[in-house]
Amino acid sequence: MSIIKLLTSSVGRKILMAITGLSLSLFMAFHLFGNLFLFVGEAAFNEYVNKLHKLGFLIRIAEFFLVLFVGSHAYSGILLWIKNRKAKKVVSSYSRDNTSGAAKSAAFTGSVVFIFLATHWSTFWYKFNFDLQGMSYYYVVTESSVGFGSPAVSIFYIIAIALLGYHLKHGIASAGQTLGIVGTKYEKTYNNVAAIFWFWIPLGFISIPVWFGFLVRIL
Amino acid sequence: MNINLKIWRQRSASKSGDVKKYRLENIDPNISFLEMLDILNIKLVKEKKDPVAFDHDCREGICGSCGFMINGQPHGPQRATTVCQLHMRAFKNEDDILLEPFRAESFPVIKDLSVDRKAFDKIISSGGYVSTNTGEAPEANSITIEKEFADEAFLSSACIGCGACVAACKNSSAMLFTSAKVAHLSLLPQGQKEAKNRVTNMVATMDEAGFGSCTNTGACSAECPKEIGQINIARLNQEYISSTLAGFLKKKE
Repeated sequence: MSIIKLLTSSVGRKILMAITGLSLSLFMAFHLFGNLFLFVGEAAFNEYVNKLHKLGFLIRIAEFFLVLFVGSHAYSGILLWIKNRKAKKVVSSYSRDNTSGAAKSAAFTGSVVFIFLATHWSTFWYKFNFDLQGMSYYYVVTESSVGFGSPAVSIFYIIAIALLGYHLKHGIASAGQTLGIVGTKYEKTYNNVAAIFWFWIPLGFISIPVWFGFLVRIL
Repeated sequence: MNINLKIWRQRSASKSGDVKKYRLENIDPNISFLEMLDILNIKLVKEKKDPVAFDHDCREGICGSCGFMINGQPHGPQRATTVCQLHMRAFKNEDDILLEPFRAESFPVIKDLSVDRKAFDKIISSGGYVSTNTGEAPEANSITIEKEFADEAFLSSACIGCGACVAACKNSSAMLFTSAKVAHLSLLPQGQKEAKNRVTNMVATMDEAGFGSCTNTGACSAECPKEIGQINIARLNQEYISSTLAGFLKKKE
């Protein structure tokens, strides 16, 4: 079977979504690791970002793959969504539903996450790379108007990450099914690790705007 | 008991349909659902009206012919029960009961509650078989199969191909049906010969027939009259990945 045939079949597209989705989840863990330096202190965070910048070329390659993965994940998702809509035009007039909310809303939560990523890149990523204007990285995140200095940014960030967690609740379980992990002896471990990714890691991200955007100002 | 039926009436695939109301009185609660429809049809024929078309054959829950939506549920409200095995005692006196055909673009309505499930036959003929020598049935113990695999294969083989999974799925996906066939055959030694091409061919046929993709909502297993589990879909995916990888390796040689 050719690679084209694989990637255009319904199961193949699902496999592509599972692999790109899980890879992006792994990146998320790495991203959070960096973010948590904010709690260590200004100097520690700035030093961490500087160290990343020194990697230069490697970071650009990683960014290329991140964009590629986000793009192909969204692209396959949209194509599958269209195909699925076409397959069922008439629905029962009797409303009845046994599908979980996370599964049903995956396309919606995914779209919100995509909008969030677009703003995330055009603000944080752009500032960090090209438009510091003498501010420290720490200041951009905690005090500037594109960062958690703005309550609107903090609130949008919290909502988007919460929806991302909800997206991953269905997404990671779904990837386990698509990659055939369900029903093997690894299923239980997989589900436990999945909970870290859809619950604890998003909670870690949310803790940052909650602390720097609100609590630190009130306390 | 008395019941108020609302039934989808559609003369043919090309005509549009709508819901018509019928009232049946003094129905014995212990007759089957299809017997109730027989009573309705006898009444309609006597009145020189067009009887309601619905698929049925064995009426023992094993042939996969029957099936339509009862109040939005494939095969009605009782778990693990085909509509022919459903009895009127599952309903209450004066209940409103809405009957519709299985809804999916790949299952066009033939008439009323009867839909064309030829797409399933196409999926089966593209891989749901084993190469076997014809002749007398061989001695049962000539091929030994571990109990674990025999049991799992048996559970998968329980699929009667009624199409309830497609009707239950919000995407009209045929993954549960296709995966039950793939899992059933791939778990047994007799199915190994075609194992590598079976899954890719059956998935390709399934895609061509216009079924949606699986979004792992589990609605299909919840409604399946034979309780075919989600594990089958995971097995199909395993088979698909391993057969694809094997295909790539073979090319390189």
